[in-house]
Amino acid sequence: MNVAAPAYRPIPADDVAWLGTDPVPAAPYYDPAWFELERKAVFLKSWIHVGHVCELPESGSFVRRELEFAKASLLIVRGRDGVIRAFHNVCTHRGTQLVAEAAGRQAKFSCPYHMWTFGTDGALLSAPDFEAFHLEKKDCALPQVSLAECGRMLFVNFDPQAQPLHEWLGDYAERLEAMPVARATTFSEYTYEIDANWKLTYDNFQENYHLRFIHPRSGGAAIGADNQFGYPASVGFCGPHRTQRIWSNPAPDLKPFQRQASMKGIPALMRRGLLDLPHGRDYLAFFPNIFIIGTPTQPFSHTVYPIAANRSRGVVRVYWSGEDADASESFAREYSLCQIRDIHAEDIDMIERGQRGLESGAISHIHFQHMEALCRHLFNSVNERVRDYARETGETI
Amino acid sequence: MSAQLPSGFEALEPFVATWALATTAERAAMRSASSPEQRAAFFAAAAPLLDSALAALDGRAMADLAPQERRLMDLMYSLAHVALAVEIQGPDEIKSAPLRDRLHITRSATDRRTAA
Ligand code: FES
Ligand SMILES: [Fe+2]
Repeated sequence: MNVAAPAYRPIPADDVAWLGTDPVPAAPYYDPAWFELERKAVFLKSWIHVGHVCELPESGSFVRRELEFAKASLLIVRGRDGVIRAFHNVCTHRGTQLVAEAAGRQAKFSCPYHMWTFGTDGALLSAPDFEAFHLEKKDCALPQVSLAECGRMLFVNFDPQAQPLHEWLGDYAERLEAMPVARATTFSEYTYEIDANWKLTYDNFQENYHLRFIHPRSGGAAIGADNQFGYPASVGFCGPHRTQRIWSNPAPDLKPFQRQASMKGIPALMRRGLLDLPHGRDYLAFFPNIFIIGTPTQPFSHTVYPIAANRSRGVVRVYWSGEDADASESFAREYSLCQIRDIHAEDIDMIERGQRGLESGAISHIHFQHMEALCRHLFNSVNERVRDYARETGETI
Repeated sequence: MSAQLPSGFEALEPFVATWALATTAERAAMRSASSPEQRAAFFAAAAPLLDSALAALDGRAMADLAPQERRLMDLMYSLAHVALAVEIQGPDEIKSAPLRDRLHITRSATDRRTAA
């Protein structure tokens, strides 16, 4: 192709200088004491992604979600009234975990231990020999956790005083609602566990500096011409959240089959009106641990759940609107899922190497260049919350 | 032996036993378990037939595919996996396989929900 390519316009360092330029302390990326503060100051006080509306299509549909940072098992249920709620998966009699299945559909939930039985709205419906307790049923409902939805994405918040989700998402709520995920009716998913801190893991996916070294084959289309690192076209910030616009390579280096495969899904996306959504090149990162990509051929979310200071779980979901319309669309969905999984696989090992290096304590600080601004912004947002929390509670850092 | 695939796709009959798999996770596992020669042979035979296979299957709902057609579709899904190994990863496929196997596919839009 000999079309004159528009030049890549680098983002000036001055644009992100307000985030600071100092080295960043290394201990927050491995220290268990810091992690404990993060758990309380960040994860127990933020809206955390737990699922998608399409997982709960009917009354009684439920999913169970294990959130290690809260030591919680959550039961997320669509009630008979159509409302989706989150409860602790804990029987109010003597604490037994109620549901063992990962997902399903039930009209009520009976505890296997003594058969206390709860409705889809969490109310205690019946309990054998209940008269022998000095209790009223209305005081025995399942403990509820705040749940809210934006763009068909479900978030929970363990802080009873939390600001409403839409307020928390700020200006980015509207963007989320305009993304493919907000129209999705199904998704494909893969998950991984990694021996690395959640920030170190997440940071890998918010900088492009590594692309040409770690993804020379699989990520070839994202780099090239006058942007050999595949740096973003723009970045933006909104409170603790951030965004970047993925650079459009004017002449991506695609292999023949890859090019052929990528085209197979286009007609269906066009019919569905999904090709020209406003945020098709955008990456939206919601504090603390999820980002969402708007690319129509590969719209996905990636959430990194912390398990310990040096262990995390990643959940990647690729979202689709409508059942596979035909063989071509279905094939394109398979190729798209495999392609992104290949790329993510290449990152995992490198992130763990980073964790092992940091845990040696050999370096006191790490460094972010200005095109790693999103990583710095995450650190700043976490740091601010941890320090405020420590000041309020008198805990030492 | 009677045909397992729609007519016109006889060249792919030898690959049905290995590559006509029902779920994305099974196809991914076979990509990792197969030899470079197996992948190369399947890619060489199947890639030139992608357009004609999808054209033969398009125009109706996935649930309405006959068993022979469904097998052809399952082969095309596996081709998606194998194409990444042969065309993109090339010599790096062997070292990338164990890393990729750490990403567990837990559900997929293309998983066959009823037995064909
Ligand atoms: S602990 Fe659930 S019924 Fe007793
Ligand atoms: Fe990467």
